[in-house]
Amino acid sequence: MGTVTATPVPTQVPGWLCAPVPLGRVALFRVLAYLFVAADLVVFTPWVRGHATVPVELYRPVLVARILHLPAPTPALVHGVFWALLAVALVAASGRWPRVLGGAVFLLYAEWMVVAMSYGKVDHDRFGLLVALAALPTVGRARFGSAEPSAAGGWALRVTQLAVVATYFLAGWAKLRFGGIEWLTGATMTRAVLRRGTWLGQLVLGVPGLLVLSQFGIMAFELASPVVLFVRERARYLLVGGFYLFHAVVFATVTITFLPHQVAMASFLPLERAVSRLLGCPTDSRR
Amino acid sequence: MRLRVTITTLVAVALLLGTLFGSDDDFPVGPFRMYATTDALDAPVRDTRVAALDDTGAALDLTETDTGLRRAEVEGQLDRPDLPRLLAVAYERRNPDATPLRRVTIVVTWHELRDGRPTGRTTEETVAAWER
Repeated sequence: MGTVTATPVPTQVPGWLCAPVPLGRVALFRVLAYLFVAADLVVFTPWVRGHATVPVELYRPVLVARILHLPAPTPALVHGVFWALLAVALVAASGRWPRVLGGAVFLLYAEWMVVAMSYGKVDHDRFGLLVALAALPTVGRARFGSAEPSAAGGWALRVTQLAVVATYFLAGWAKLRFGGIEWLTGATMTRAVLRRGTWLGQLVLGVPGLLVLSQFGIMAFELASPVVLFVRERARYLLVGGFYLFHAVVFATVTITFLPHQVAMASFLPLERAVSRLLGCPTDSRR
Repeated sequence: MRLRVTITTLVAVALLLGTLFGSDDDFPVGPFRMYATTDALDAPVRDTRVAALDDTGAALDLTETDTGLRRAEVEGQLDRPDLPRLLAVAYERRNPDATPLRRVTIVVTWHELRDGRPTGRTTEETVAAWER
């Protein structure tokens, strides 16, 4: 909508990158992201706080922490960031002072991630969320229910979508880089089930060849995922639904949630339409 | 608008370079290498736990809740010879009222596989130990 077919090529990319979306959608996505940050602190990744009491010798700062000379975590620092981030995220979810509070959420969450990832294991489930948190403050004010189109809001959602797709595509690429083509026929999923499988996972483990087959499926899905950026609306929602289903199956078999990534993936969805339907407000003539 | 396109491009390039040449150290733009290594169908699969013995002689497994360090983090620091001692320190900080630990060992259980399926046979290997 709104793009002129005769537009010369160089301006098409920015046009696509910043295709306007209703501000009401950004407002809802922002609530989702900031409420998730609060829930993440308390419910989903409580282990980050556990690093407060870990001896400092086990702190292995990631590159960005060394470049910025971030201090080694102490109990005061970890608990301080925890409570500050919890408070700021909850207020930011209300939509107040979106630039200042949004910026603070991003900085505090980034520091929280340094504390999380600097003890010998780096997770890869939240690149999309980090991009969303970085981009959202640039949108500024966005009111619930506002249909006003915004290019700044479009960009924030688009870069989040790109980060989500990059996570899939580059995860496939990384498997080829580190595991080689043999990854497809290896025992990686078997290892995952042995380490953290559910009863369903154990069941799947018992079927000869099924986990190897699933590896072919995962690789094909990851490498083909960018398609979602270029299809029409209906196909896009179906594909994103498929992505959510994939995570549901992964969770049911090996208890990996990838929840921050799933929150970022909501940037693909017409949240304002879903909410108005839920609340029973008719948005068009269809029933 | 131009600034947004520039930032998008820069982050995309950093992420691409991270995937091609980087490591976990480059977080958040390092390679997304979750479950990216290949395990052979007939080679044993590793599972790590931290076993401890307290002063009363009771045996216990130290979990993430006990030490504040996740299993994958323990595995990521197995190159540290003093890891069991540091885990004991972490345990005592988090559980100041618990009976002190006398011994901490890091035990790797190897699950034997045949054609990608566990045979049910396992072997245990102590990879690091600390004793007070």
